[in-house]
Amino acid sequence: MVAVDPSVAADVTKPKADNRQARIGWGLAAPALILMVLILLVPIIVAGVLSFTDYSLGNPGFDWVGLQNYERLFTRSTYEKMFVATFTYVVTVVPISVGLGLGAALLVHSLGRIGDIYKTIYFLPVMATLLAMAIAWEFMLHPTIGMVNRTLEMSCGTWFEVIPFFAGGCAEGFPLWLGDRDYAIWVVCFIGIWQGFGFNMVLFLAGLTSVHRELYHAAEMDGARSGWERFRLVTWPALGPTTVFVVTISCIRAFQVFDTIEAFWPQGGGPNKSAYVMMFAIFEKGIQQNLIGIGSAITMLFLLFVMFLTLIQRWLVERKVHY
Amino acid sequence: MTRDWWKHMVLILGTIIVLAPFYMMVSYSFKSPGEIDRGEGGFFGRQEMMIDPRCVALRQPDRADIEAARARFAGQDDASVQASLLAETEAACSMRPVVFNYSKAFTEAPLVRYLLNGVIVTVSIFLIQIVVALPAAYALAKLKFWGRDAVFGLVLFCLLIPVHAIALPLYIGLAKLGLTNTYAALVVPWTISVFGIFLMRQFFMTVPDDLIDAARMDGMSELAIVWRVMLPTAIPALLAFAIFSVVAHWNDYFWPRIVVTGNRDLFTPPLGLREFKGDGDGSFFGPMMATATVIVTPLIVAFLLAQRRFIEGITLSGMK
Repeated sequence: MVAVDPSVAADVTKPKADNRQARIGWGLAAPALILMVLILLVPIIVAGVLSFTDYSLGNPGFDWVGLQNYERLFTRSTYEKMFVATFTYVVTVVPISVGLGLGAALLVHSLGRIGDIYKTIYFLPVMATLLAMAIAWEFMLHPTIGMVNRTLEMSCGTWFEVIPFFAGGCAEGFPLWLGDRDYAIWVVCFIGIWQGFGFNMVLFLAGLTSVHRELYHAAEMDGARSGWERFRLVTWPALGPTTVFVVTISCIRAFQVFDTIEAFWPQGGGPNKSAYVMMFAIFEKGIQQNLIGIGSAITMLFLLFVMFLTLIQRWLVERKVHY
Repeated sequence: MTRDWWKHMVLILGTIIVLAPFYMMVSYSFKSPGEIDRGEGGFFGRQEMMIDPRCVALRQPDRADIEAARARFAGQDDASVQASLLAETEAACSMRPVVFNYSKAFTEAPLVRYLLNGVIVTVSIFLIQIVVALPAAYALAKLKFWGRDAVFGLVLFCLLIPVHAIALPLYIGLAKLGLTNTYAALVVPWTISVFGIFLMRQFFMTVPDDLIDAARMDGMSELAIVWRVMLPTAIPALLAFAIFSVVAHWNDYFWPRIVVTGNRDLFTPPLGLREFKGDGDGSFFGPMMATATVIVTPLIVAFLLAQRRFIEGITLSGMK
């Protein structure tokens, strides 16, 4: 610094410098701020307003319909199926993909360097274009030429037939999978888990590397001999924040499932609407059928769910998550 | 090692399930339609010469061809000339299944164009995100100004909003502006990455103030500081963000599906694949799987080459 009495210099320059910094600060943040408002905030307000109307694109005017759109969402059977499909998907995919992610991470971590090969392989589905993989799965599950049913058929005539599923399959043919309303949503769930658990595994692995070795030694001193005890006393509590984060992000991603549904059933969201998830409903109602009022109402509910989840996460993390 | 055998068993079982659809996708992209139908041929198929029925249908010898070829087959009647010509056409139209599948993937639809669109869209999204987010992150981390906390609060709030969820109002806005079916429609909603601002701001907080003061002493403007001092120090974080952004937008299907309707020139790779599925009958499984392989390959190869960076990047950027 120049040899001036610092206090004097500060007194003289401070208001001016503050002004300058404020101008520059706002200037640098302005483009981001404007885009944030235009692209993220205004659309929410627009969706909120439109959800009370019967607006459709191309019509000059619209009527206010009050809560009618929301009322429909909670009374019509199509939307009941939408909620059932969405929550079935979320409630199935989230725990299993988090559980498998944690399990895989623990196994891979305990193997050291050799485990890295599994890490690479399990992460491949995360990188691959989901639409392409959905089409690949569709062929895998094809009732006549698909690999899955062909493999299952190999079990015919062996002791596998003891299991009722195999016995039934061998007698009457194995399921159509994507064409059967009893199986469709579960197949979609399976693909969701297949695609996402590698991501969770990597996040858990990142969490595991930050657990200190000394903690395990300390636990052993205190009498935690078995692997399970060490996991329960050391690993699991240390992974608390990671777990909260992984669960939240898995939920948000699960709510947004779309690619597989659209790839399998471009017209209508599965046999008997058994896989009619919210994102597909927004797409079908709002964009394909131009029923923007009802589409906006689904959008608002969707945002509500997602924001609620994230706020719970923030709250848990701020409490530092100790079980 | 011997103690760990059961872990390997479990993980190998997982590997088989994880890799099965990749195996099938690549394998089908090598095989002839007959082999796919009957489930034969192992991984690579037998690669026997096959005849492309469409090619033969297009080059079916007609009257004029037979007249023209009469000289070559002196003394034969029309039927046998036609048969010989047909045999020649079939010979010209026969090829190895792998060549058939991959050449169809590129000729049946403008796949190169789709790939190019994918590159244009992902690169422009990333560049604009950086140009917008970096100065804002710098201002939020290193400049003191009235209202800064409010702006940062807004950033935190916007982190709660998944852009896919507000697709409908965004689509209406773009439709009102007459921008659907343009590159702008594919790029605009992603120009602001709140997450990018957040990530970069956290990173800039760790940069020492002295560095910035020194730059100011040298007479650099604040904007110059952003690009010539902060940007170089932020390369690792930027790379992480780049991976996140490119992976997300190369693979994105939902948004392009909404704003690009019918205009093939704007199709991104997933849309191109979707179209293939729409008009493909049974015999087109091979070319379709070839297309899928081509679309999936760039990111997978990049990932295999730079795994550590990718995993770090995805982990870091996953931390919303």
